[in-house]
Amino acid sequence: MVNLTIDGTQVTVPKSFTIYQAAEQIGIKIPVLCYAKKLLPFGACRVCLVEVEQMKGRLIPSCTTPVTEGMVVTTSSDEILKVRKTVLEFLLVNHVIECPVCDKGGECELQDLTYELEVVTNRFVGEKFDHPTDESNPFIERNMNRCVLCGRCVRVCDEIVSYGSYSFVERGFETKIATAFDRGLDCEFCGQCVSMCPVGALLPRPFKFKARPWQLKHVDSVCGYCGNGCTVTFGVKDNQVQTIRFNDKNGVNDGNLCIRGRFGYSYVNSDQRLTRPLVRKNGELVEADWEEALTAVAEGMNRGKGTGIISGARLSNEEFLLLKEVAAAAGTTNLDHSGGECYKGLTEGVQQVLGLSASTGTFPQVEDADVILSIRSDFYETHPVFGMVVNQAVKRAGAKLLVVSDKKGKFTKLPNAETLLGKPGTEVNILNAICAVLLESGKAVTEGVAGLDELKQSLTDYAPARVAEQTGVSVEAIEAAAEQLAAAEKGAILLGYGLSYTANSRELGIAAANLALLSGLADQDEAGLYVCGEKANSQGAIDLGILPGESGLGVQAMLDAAARGSLGALYIVGEDPLTSFPDGAKVEAALKGAEFVVVQDLFLSPTAQAADVVLPAASFAEKDGTFTNAERRIQRLRAGIKSPGEALTDFAIFASLLEKLGAAASAATPGETFAGLGRLNDAYAGIDLNAIGPQGVVWGGEHLQPKVRNLVPVSGREPLTTRYQLITGSALYHSGTTTTHAKGPLEAVPEPYVELSREDAAELQLAEGDQLRIKGNGAEIRLKAKIGARLPKGVLFAPNHFPGTGLNRLYKGEAAVVVELNK
Amino acid sequence: MIKEFIQGLSITFKHLLPGHSTTVQYPKVKLQPSDRFRGLHRLVPSHDRAKCVACYLCPTVCPAKCITVESAENEKGEKYPRVYQIDLLRCIFCGYCVEACPVEAIEMTGNYELANYHRDDFVFDKQRLLNTK
Repeated sequence: MVNLTIDGTQVTVPKSFTIYQAAEQIGIKIPVLCYAKKLLPFGACRVCLVEVEQMKGRLIPSCTTPVTEGMVVTTSSDEILKVRKTVLEFLLVNHVIECPVCDKGGECELQDLTYELEVVTNRFVGEKFDHPTDESNPFIERNMNRCVLCGRCVRVCDEIVSYGSYSFVERGFETKIATAFDRGLDCEFCGQCVSMCPVGALLPRPFKFKARPWQLKHVDSVCGYCGNGCTVTFGVKDNQVQTIRFNDKNGVNDGNLCIRGRFGYSYVNSDQRLTRPLVRKNGELVEADWEEALTAVAEGMNRGKGTGIISGARLSNEEFLLLKEVAAAAGTTNLDHSGGECYKGLTEGVQQVLGLSASTGTFPQVEDADVILSIRSDFYETHPVFGMVVNQAVKRAGAKLLVVSDKKGKFTKLPNAETLLGKPGTEVNILNAICAVLLESGKAVTEGVAGLDELKQSLTDYAPARVAEQTGVSVEAIEAAAEQLAAAEKGAILLGYGLSYTANSRELGIAAANLALLSGLADQDEAGLYVCGEKANSQGAIDLGILPGESGLGVQAMLDAAARGSLGALYIVGEDPLTSFPDGAKVEAALKGAEFVVVQDLFLSPTAQAADVVLPAASFAEKDGTFTNAERRIQRLRAGIKSPGEALTDFAIFASLLEKLGAAASAATPGETFAGLGRLNDAYAGIDLNAIGPQGVVWGGEHLQPKVRNLVPVSGREPLTTRYQLITGSALYHSGTTTTHAKGPLEAVPEPYVELSREDAAELQLAEGDQLRIKGNGAEIRLKAKIGARLPKGVLFAPNHFPGTGLNRLYKGEAAVVVELNK
Repeated sequence: MIKEFIQGLSITFKHLLPGHSTTVQYPKVKLQPSDRFRGLHRLVPSHDRAKCVACYLCPTVCPAKCITVESAENEKGEKYPRVYQIDLLRCIFCGYCVEACPVEAIEMTGNYELANYHRDDFVFDKQRLLNTK
C-alpha cells in the first residue's frame, strides 16, 4: 500500500493504482477523455493533467502515472484549469460542432467538458475535418470528423474483443482512426467501440436519429439470449426498446456485449409478433380470445392419454416454478426443457464426478487465470462475452489458452493459444489422453480421489500415441497440455453447450470433470470447471429441475411417444423444436401423432404453425423475474415495455391455465414466487429477491468445492473416416432461432449457409455463394457455400438457427454426420 | 371643495372629447405589436425545407410540454423533423423554444389573432408553422 495526499486529503491505495484511481477512491473527479476503467492506461487526451509536488515544473497525466509514497497531488488550480481549457480548445479546432444533429449530444463527454470548463471561444483557428462517413455496415456509423483520437475504440477492440479492427493511421494533424486499408468497418459488430466512444464518432446505426439520450427511460434487465447472462439496459421510448444503453455499473460483463445483446433486441418490437391467441378451427388457425384458447388447452390436456410438456430455456425461474405447478395440475411428470437434450447430460456427467451440476467459479475469476482450456472453439460463438474475459486473460494476464476443438475459430487465433485440432466428436478421447498423461507422469492430483484404479484401467485405451493417431492431434501437444494444466495455479476449463451438440454430452461432462479433478483445477479456490448452458436460463432450468419426474418421459421419449400416438397432448413453451431440435423428422411425426398440440411462443414458428392452439407470449423485455446464468448468478429481469396486443407473459399464462385446470398458482406475482424457489432447490432458499442488487447473487457463493471426488471411466468414440462429415453449431451472430427475427443479427448473417475449407471447395470447384447439395442420413438439403480457413479438410459446418433449411433432417444428434456433396 | 370637484371632473370630461380616447377600435383598427412581442410561432424555411434539424431542444425546454417533434433521416442523410407540432392551447408563449434553438429555426411573430372554433385548429403542424407570416 502507498500513502499519498490528494488535494489535502490523505489516501492509502495499492501500489498498482494510478493517481486518477486514487483520486476516484476519495471521490475527487478528475476529467478524462481517453481513460476507461476497463482499458489499460493510455494517456492520449491530456485532459487529466494534475500537479505533483515532487515533479514540479510540468503537469502530470493522472491516468497513466502510478502513485508513489508521499506524493502530494493537486487536481485543480488556476494553472491546471487553464491548461485543460487549452487542451479542449485544441481538440475543438478541428472537431465539427454539429451537436444538434449528433446523436451523442446530451451524453457527449467532450460536450460536457466544454460546458464544465466554460470553453466558449477558441483562440485557435483551423480547418474542420472533412472525412467521409463510414456507413459500409448496418450497425456502426463512423464519423471521423467528430473523433478526438482518444483511442478507446482501438484499445477495446484489441484488449477486450481481440478483433483489432481499428488503428491510428497517418501522423500529426492528419492522424485518424481507420480500419484495414481504410476500407470501412467489417468485423463481428459487437459494438464495444460504440459503447466506449466518448463523442459521436461511433454511433449505433439502428438508433440513428431515433431519440435524444435524455428522452430515454432506462430499464436494467438481463439479456435474453445466451447463458452468459449479460446485464443490459434498455433505452425505452414510446413503448419500444429503442436501443441498448452502455452501462458498466451492473452485472459482471463490464458493459461488454456481443452483437446479439447490443443489436439483437429488435425482435421484441417486431410487427411479426403474435398478438392474439390462435385456435385451430376447420384446419385453420384463427384468432380467438384468451378464455376460449385456455379452455381449449385445459380440455386438450385433460383428454386422458397424458400430456408432455417441453419448455425452452429462456423462461424465468419464476415461470419455471409455475410450469412445474401446471405439470402437477395436469397430472403429468412428462416435463423437460430443451437442455434436456444436451446441457442436462453435461451437468449429469459433472454431477457424477464432482457432485455439482453447475460451474464452480464465476466469470471474473477467469480474468487472471494462468491456464484456460476451452473445449470446442465454438465457446466464443455460444458465449461471446465470457469469451471476452478469456481474451483479457490471454492478452493482459498472459494466460495460456488450450483449445480442444474440431475447427478453428476466434480462440485459436489468440496469442498463446494452442489448438488441439481433432476430428469431430473426439473431444472425449483427447481429454482422456490428457488424463492419461497426467496419471502417467505422476503429476495428477490423486489424493482423496475415488475410482482411480478403474480410470487408470480404462485409460489404457487412450494412450497419447493412440489418441494422436485417432484424432490427428500430436502427442507433444497432448503432453504439453497435460503439463500446463498440472502446473496451473489458477486454471479454468470451459465447456459451452447447446442444442446442436447433443452427442456425447454426458461423456464430455465426465471427461472434463475427471480432468478438472486430476489436474487439481477442481480444488482451487477460484475458477475451475465452467459448464455453460446455451440459453439465458439453462442453468435455472437445471437448478429448478425442469426435468422428467418419476416415471416421466424426457424430450426424446415424449417425441417418440407422441409419434407413436401414445401421448395425448404436447405443450411446447418457448421453443421451436421443428427447427432447433436434432432429428426434425421425428419432431414432425410427433406433432402429427399428438392429438393436441399447444405452442406458446412470440412468433408463429414452424412448430406453432402445426399447433392446435397458439398462445402469444411476452419477450424477456416485457417481464419481471430472474434468470440464473452459467456462473450461477441470479439476476433480475425488469419489464421495459408492454407486450403487443393481448400477448401475456408466460407467468400470466401459466397462472390462468392453472385456474382452468382447477388449481391455483402458489403466488400471484413473479416477485412473490421467487421466495418459493427455495422449495425446489436448497441453493435458492434464503436468497431475498430485494437483496439481488446490480451484481446479482451467485448461489452457493463465489466458488463451489466438489462435493464428491469420483473419477468415472468414460469412453470416447472412433472418429468417422468418410471423405466428408457435417457438424452443426452456433454462429456468433445468432442464438437459438429467436435471432432470426431480429434485424441486427439478420443483417450480419441473413441466411443459412454451410462452411467448408478452401481445399474442399477447390476440389468441388465451388465458389463462395454457390449452392451445395448435401446428402446424408437419407435426406438431401441445399445450402449456400461459404468458404473459409476455419475448417479442416473434409469437415463442413452449418449453423442451426434458421428455420426451413431442413438441416435437422440430416442432423439427428450425432457428433458428426456422414455426408455426400454435390454441386 | 366644489372647486376641486370641478377641477377633477374637467379632466374626466376632457378625455371624453374626440381625439382624446386611448381605446382602439379593434378589429377595424389594429395595433402593430413591437418587434419583441411573442405571438404565433413560425418555422424558418431554408431552401426547400425547414431549417429545423430536429435536435429536440425546444420540446425539452418547453415548460408547457406543447411541442411534439419526431426526427427522421432524409434522402441526403440529414436529420429533419418528420413531425413538428405545437399545441397552442397549451403554449404559454414564453419563448423558451426560440431561445433554446441552436439553429434559429423557430421564431415568434407578431400574430396574436389566434382565436378559432375547434380545438383541432389550435394544433399547428409543420406546414402551418412554415406558412406563418
